[in-house]
Amino acid sequence: MQNLKVGGLKQSLELCQFDLRGPDSSEKTVSKISKLLASQKSNIEFLTYNPNTNRYHQLTLCVSQDKFSSTSKILKKDGSLPTGWQITWREHVGILTVFPHHSPIKILGVIMVSWGAKSIPIYGIATSLSAISFVTDYHCIDKAVEAIQHSFQLPENRAPLKPEIRYYQSDIVKGE
Amino acid sequence: METIAVYWEPRIKTYSFQRLTDLAFVEFSYPVHEMKSLGEILSRDELQDVKTKFMIAQESDGDISFVFCLPHKEGKDFHESLEKDLGPTTHRYIYPVAIIFFHGPHFGDRYGIADATFSTLSNADIEVIASGCSSASVFLVLVQDDIDKAEKVLGEAFEVAK
Repeated sequence: MQNLKVGGLKQSLELCQFDLRGPDSSEKTVSKISKLLASQKSNIEFLTYNPNTNRYHQLTLCVSQDKFSSTSKILKKDGSLPTGWQITWREHVGILTVFPHHSPIKILGVIMVSWGAKSIPIYGIATSLSAISFVTDYHCIDKAVEAIQHSFQLPENRAPLKPEIRYYQSDIVKGE
Repeated sequence: METIAVYWEPRIKTYSFQRLTDLAFVEFSYPVHEMKSLGEILSRDELQDVKTKFMIAQESDGDISFVFCLPHKEGKDFHESLEKDLGPTTHRYIYPVAIIFFHGPHFGDRYGIADATFSTLSNADIEVIASGCSSASVFLVLVQDDIDKAEKVLGEAFEVAK
């Protein structure tokens, strides 16, 4: 049987991940945390939020690895999180983004099987209009790419896109 | 080589707001160490044509929790199929929900997008059922009745490119 076709792969630079979890709170946690990170000029490169009423609320976010210390410091500061909320983190993660042609659930399933067989972890997933992004250990990215290349049909000679430029937000504001 | 780009927008630009309505929200959790067996269920041929409009997964305490938003009929069938195949895992099913999503010229390269989005919704008392932001896109799952209000307040907070 022919492998499913995907349109391409893109990998991120090195990131770090924070998982914030806690009970329902009158505080508007996502708004508060995103404001805190904006005040630090931290670009959130990946975010998932699920206020699960049956268990707890969870906000997962990834920022550039060079922002690990400053982000960690601000999130751990007293009063940053509502009462009962906890924070865990991973210092070195990366995102691998797959561009499917169709069958996103089947593609997800095939990736889970191939990564599961090679003990490549999945720490988070989010979709956009045309892509599925997977968070995994940064040191596993090459192995993860290889597993996908074996499990899917990719366009010929299509190596994963790797970023070559990191953007920084300057403090200079136009018009000042 | 280091490249420094300087830009600032008084109001963050977005290309447009797009919405999807009448969706089913399906959520379930599964043990992380059984990821391969869940993958085998999800990669079955009968799920090949299921078109999910939104998906996120979060890992915590040895479980991975998934959220899918699908058209009503597909969502109902998908939920029933999961209940049958996965056994006693935590499930949640909500219908109807709606999605509003948008992306912009600098999303992914600058800070402040999440702040502008969630502060705007929070100030308007709009509940977010789930959200996923990746690949320079923002996806928000909302109570269906809130979708008009959400588009209005987000439209005031962001500048929609003409």
